[in-house]
Amino acid sequence: MPDTKNPPVIVLKELKKRFGIGDAEHYALDGVNLTIQKGEFIAIMGPSGCGKTTLLNVLGLLDSHIEGEYELDGKSIAYLSAKRQARIRSQQIGFVFQSFNLVSRLNVIDNVALPLIYKGMPHLARQKKASDMLKSFHLGEREFYMPNQLSGGQMQRVAIARALVNDPAIILADEPTGNLDSRASHIIMEELSDLHKQGNTIIMVTHNPDLTTYASRVITMLDGQIDTDTFRLPLPSRTTTKKPLNVIKTPKTKASTKKKAKK
Amino acid sequence: MKFLFANHIHIARQSIASSRMRSTLTMLGITIGVASITTILALSAGASKIVVDQVDSLGGNIAVIRPGSSEKNSVQGIAQLPIGQQYAASTLSDVDVTTIEKIEHVKAVAPLMVLGGAVSGASKGSPQTPILATTPSLQEISGIEVSDGQFLDPDLIGSTAVIGPQLSIDLYGTDQSIGKTVTIKGKPFTIIGILKRTNTPVNYNSVDFDNAVVINLKEGRELIQGASQIQQINVQSESVEYLDGIITNINKTVLKNHFGQADFTVLSGAEIAQPTSALFTALAGVSVAIAAISLVVGGVGIMNIMLVSVAERTREIGIRKALGATNGDIISQFLIESLALSIGGGIAGYLFGYAIAFIISTFLTFDPVFNLEIAGIALAVSLVIGTVFGLYPAVRAARKDPISALRQYD
Repeated sequence: MPDTKNPPVIVLKELKKRFGIGDAEHYALDGVNLTIQKGEFIAIMGPSGCGKTTLLNVLGLLDSHIEGEYELDGKSIAYLSAKRQARIRSQQIGFVFQSFNLVSRLNVIDNVALPLIYKGMPHLARQKKASDMLKSFHLGEREFYMPNQLSGGQMQRVAIARALVNDPAIILADEPTGNLDSRASHIIMEELSDLHKQGNTIIMVTHNPDLTTYASRVITMLDGQIDTDTFRLPLPSRTTTKKPLNVIKTPKTKASTKKKAKK
Repeated sequence: MKFLFANHIHIARQSIASSRMRSTLTMLGITIGVASITTILALSAGASKIVVDQVDSLGGNIAVIRPGSSEKNSVQGIAQLPIGQQYAASTLSDVDVTTIEKIEHVKAVAPLMVLGGAVSGASKGSPQTPILATTPSLQEISGIEVSDGQFLDPDLIGSTAVIGPQLSIDLYGTDQSIGKTVTIKGKPFTIIGILKRTNTPVNYNSVDFDNAVVINLKEGRELIQGASQIQQINVQSESVEYLDGIITNINKTVLKNHFGQADFTVLSGAEIAQPTSALFTALAGVSVAIAAISLVVGGVGIMNIMLVSVAERTREIGIRKALGATNGDIISQFLIESLALSIGGGIAGYLFGYAIAFIISTFLTFDPVFNLEIAGIALAVSLVIGTVFGLYPAVRAARKDPISALRQYD
C-alpha cells in the first residue's frame, strides 16, 4: 500500500559502494536507483554477492562511505555527522539480523531495552516498554531468560521486538529467517507481515522465494544493480502461506496464533 | 546523559562480575601500588605530626632560632641531621640570647648547646651520648618533666647534671642514680635529677632526652674551652598573640647582631618540624617513586585486560552501534569499566595500605595519620591510572566498524 502522495522515505540516486583499491577495486553497489515509499514491504532477492546486504547496510547508515545520493526522509545523509547518524539509527531504524545478534551476556528484557538506553530513557521506563513489547510478541514469560535458553524462532522474535521497541519508521531485516526452520520462519514472517499492516516500512533481504509472497514489492539484484522491480498490488492472498501454521498443530504455535487473532 | 552514566556503571559492574577472577587480578596491580603509596604517606605524615604535636602541646607559643639561612634549610636539613656537623657551623652566640631576652613579651629563652662526647658512670656510656648544655628555662619552654630530683639550677654549688632515665640505666643499672657522679668529657658532675621517660627520640630539640645528660650552659661552655656554639635558641612568648611580633623583632635584633647577615632562621609552629620531616619527605619521595613504578605496571595490566575485553566484545560493540550507540557512548562504556577497575583497586589499596601502616607502626614510636590528603592522593592516582590506561582501549572499541564487528563470531 505505497502512498505516492507523501514524500518517499528513501531515495537512492546512482548509489555506488566501492570496496578495495587499485587492482582489487570492485563495486558492490554499482549505480542503484531506488525510491521507497512509506508503508512498503520490500523483499530484496538475488544471488550471493549481488550487493543485497551492502545495500541494507548503506540504508541502515552502518556504512556511510558511499558515492551517489542517499536521501532519508528528504534529507541527504552525506552531511550528517557520525553522532547524528547514530541518533537516526537509534530513533528511525530497526535492525533484524540473520544471526539474531542478541547480546549473549544480557537477558531477554535487557536485550530488548538496549536501543532505549541510547535514547536516554530512564531504567524503569525502559524495562516497562521492553516488557510490553515482549508481551505483544508472546514472550512475556521469557523476559528473564538468557538468549542461549531460547529457540531460534524465539531469539528472532526477541530481535524483532528489540528492533521495534523504538518505534522506528523503517525496519531493515537481513535474511531474518535464514537460520530458522520453516515453521519458525512462518511465525517470523507473520510477525513482519503484521507490522507491515500496521503501516511500518519493511525492507527485507532474503534467499527464499516463498517469503516474497508477504512482500508488496519484490526487487531482484544482480551485480550491484537492480535487475527487476515488481510491485505486487494488491497483495497476493496469503491463505496458502498461512496454512502450514495451522496444519502443524503444536500447542504453543496454536496458542500464539489464537491470541493474535483475538487482538 | 545522566541515565547513560548510571547505565554505563551498571554495564561495567556486570562485565566485571562476569569475569571476576580476571578483574580481581587486574585490580591487584593497582591495589599494590596504591597500598605502598598510602603506607608511606601515612607513616611519614605520622613522623612529622609527632613533632608538630609537641609544639602544639606546649601551647603554640614557641619560636625556634636555628643557625643557617632558610633557603638552604630543605637540603641541608637532610644532610646535616647529625649534631656534630651543625655546631661547627653554628652562627648563634650568647649575645643573641641576651638581646632576645630583652625583647618585649618574651617570657623565656633557652639556648641549646648540644655536644657529643664520652659519658661514664659505674660503667661506660656510648661515646656519642648527647650532652645538652642549656639554662633552667628549657624545662618550662619544652615542657620537660623530672621524675626524680630537680632540673638544672645554676646557683647550686659544684657541677650538677640531670640525666635521662635510659642513660641512667645504661650507666648505673638503675634509674635511681641521684647523688652519683657522672663523668662527662673527663669532668665529674653530680646527678641532681632524673628526667621522666618521654619515648620521643624525634623532637624539635633534636635531642633524645631519654638518653641525654643535661648540664648548665656555663659548664658546657667550659667543656669546649669556653667557646659558645649554640645550635638552637628556644623562645617562649607570653601568649600566642605576641608570637608574630616577637618573631619579627627577633629577626631584626639578630640581624643587627650579625651585621646584616641572614645566617639564621626563626621558625614557629609547623615550620619547626621541618628539619625532621625533611628527611622523611625525602625518604617518602624515593619510596613513592618506586611505588609509582608498580602503579604504572598495574596500569599496563588494566590496559591489557581492557584490550582483551574489547576484542571479546567486538560483536556486542557492533550491535550497540547498530542500535544507535554513538562513538562517545562506546568510549564512556569502556572508560568507565577501566575506571571501575582502577578505583576498585585504589580503594582496596587504600585500606590495605593503612593496615600495613598500622602493622609497621607497632615497631615505631609514632602512628600513621589519617587525613583527606592521603585519601585524595589515593583516589586521584587511581582515577588518573584508570583514565590514562583505559582511554586507548576505549577509543579502539569506538573506532570499530559496525559491519565487520557484527560479522565476528561470539
